[in-house]
Amino acid sequence: MNDKLLIEITNITKRYEMGDNVVMALQDVNLKIERGEYLSIMGPSGSGKSTFMNILGCLDTPSTGEYKFRGVDVSKLDDDALSAMRNKEIGFVFQNFNLLPKLNAVQNVELPLAYAGVPAAERRERAIRALERVKLADRMHHKPSELSGGQRQRVAIARALVTNPGILLADEPTGALDSKTGVEIMRLFDELHREGDNTIILITHEQEIANYAIRNVYIKDGTIHYDRLNTNRTIVS
Amino acid sequence: MEYSENIKVAWQGLTDHKFRSFLTMLGIIFGVASVIAMLSIGEGAKREAIAKYQDLGVNNIIVREKDMTDEELEEVRTKFSPGLSLHDAEVIREIVPGVSRIAAQAEINADVKYTNRSVKSSVIGVTPEFYDILNYKISEGEFIGDVHYDGKQKVCVLGAGIAFTLFQKEEPIGKMIKIEDQWLEVVGVLESKALFTETVGELAARDLNTDVYVPLSMFLDRFSRGNALDSEIQQLTIQVENSEHLMETSTLVNEIVKRHHFNNEDYGIVIPLELLKQEEKERQIYNFLLGAIAAISLLVGGIGIMNIMLATVMERTREIGIRRAIGARKRDIMTQFVTEAVVISIAGGIIGVVAGVSLSLLVSVFTDVSTYIRLYSIVIAFAFSVVVGVVFGYLPAKNAANLKPVDSIRYE
Repeated sequence: MNDKLLIEITNITKRYEMGDNVVMALQDVNLKIERGEYLSIMGPSGSGKSTFMNILGCLDTPSTGEYKFRGVDVSKLDDDALSAMRNKEIGFVFQNFNLLPKLNAVQNVELPLAYAGVPAAERRERAIRALERVKLADRMHHKPSELSGGQRQRVAIARALVTNPGILLADEPTGALDSKTGVEIMRLFDELHREGDNTIILITHEQEIANYAIRNVYIKDGTIHYDRLNTNRTIVS
Repeated sequence: MEYSENIKVAWQGLTDHKFRSFLTMLGIIFGVASVIAMLSIGEGAKREAIAKYQDLGVNNIIVREKDMTDEELEEVRTKFSPGLSLHDAEVIREIVPGVSRIAAQAEINADVKYTNRSVKSSVIGVTPEFYDILNYKISEGEFIGDVHYDGKQKVCVLGAGIAFTLFQKEEPIGKMIKIEDQWLEVVGVLESKALFTETVGELAARDLNTDVYVPLSMFLDRFSRGNALDSEIQQLTIQVENSEHLMETSTLVNEIVKRHHFNNEDYGIVIPLELLKQEEKERQIYNFLLGAIAAISLLVGGIGIMNIMLATVMERTREIGIRRAIGARKRDIMTQFVTEAVVISIAGGIIGVVAGVSLSLLVSVFTDVSTYIRLYSIVIAFAFSVVVGVVFGYLPAKNAANLKPVDSIRYE
């Protein structure tokens, strides 16, 4: 067994029943992801990539098939265990940041640790470290409304990183940002990959964003069309 | 997630929307305030009644001569009734078991004079037992004792009111007062007693503080009766050893007195404890009604909380999705929302307690309704408000916890 193997997806399908219609959102998807990989999952809207991301992120379970995370079959877990998986192993970064507006930056970053039961003092310390990593420690007492889009996304990334998750799952992370800020966020991902040895999965419908990743997976009509190394990778300097 | 954090989050949610939170709490505030005010009014009435009957003695049976016109009096005498007498007292003492003491009293209305002052008063001839049986308290000097009684001494004890009217700032003890043509020495003054504001059976409402007490032995020798047919004494107060036997004892007493009076019903029997119980029963119905109104108010308050909480859950679907995505379990979300409901109801409960206590104080200050707040009523009202929070927070919280994270995170 490959000890670098992090995720192993075998013959996953996801079926939605809408009245009499059965929609196959995913069909026989197979994928292996190793620790430290940087891959993109690309596909047009309606391709099933969002469904795939939900399953990868333990927000949803497949109808059939097996999803092993560090050898544990996630598709058989109950709601509490899935919550724990999301808490410890998945770091979500969303297109629209999804920060809690009432909490300031450091409180937002602390939140996953609170659900993990980390004591308050340690929580604050780790949250500050995560904010330092995204170069936002000086803004830690600002509410999301007092931060720019790029800064908000950094806070969201810090929140995703703070539990040292197995994967960073970024869903259109630059979708709500202007292109300049978008590039900065992509540079941050690149750094996190190179320096932090983080496993990063980008979900996007833009080729341009997918090009930042080392490995490209393309989904269409619920199945993987191709899965290859990115030969003309965009290098952020 | 520690519980204290849920409370912090809930408190913040509450203070973020102060006006809305206040409106949400309003039902709870009214409910709790009315529970406390209602119970305090009930308790006040109860205490007043207990005080009143305690003056009459809860272990006592009172046999009192009926108020009769001269014609009625003549009629019962022609039917051989001798009227209430010391003989009745002796017979009861001999025959009825479980009687600890009997006090006999005879009364006339007379003017009581000191120097140039004069007051209309009831002059009551009593035996020394009277003091213990009826819970009288002396404030100065002493009550009629065995020495006074056996020696038929010309002494008297004054009620607080009459002592003040006659003597004002003077020291009454040792002074001589005049009643009819008799001079009596004041040997004691009683503490003030509660006004007897309601007529109870044969006992007419009156102010006990204007009474003058003298030894019965001396009274019977020296004071003339208005009518030669008048009974020897007007009242017997019988103290029983065990209040559980009050009813049986009173039946027996009634039989004896009735026979001695040749079946003339020229007397009445009053049992203070029975009257107290009866009054309490009536009050219970009243209390129950008030309690039901208060409970409905709390219920409506609870529904108000549920309504707002359901709306809040909708409004915060996205927040719930975010929390779920970063690892909150269903029960974390559940706890969070139930806590919010409880925090609202506790806050409403605290305000309600303050309002209820103030209300009952206001009632007792500005009306002649007396109120008394017992700690348990505050505890009950408060506990009830917490229960309302849990019960009515449960459904919205369950809705929140059961939102699917996939859907709620994308909720706009």
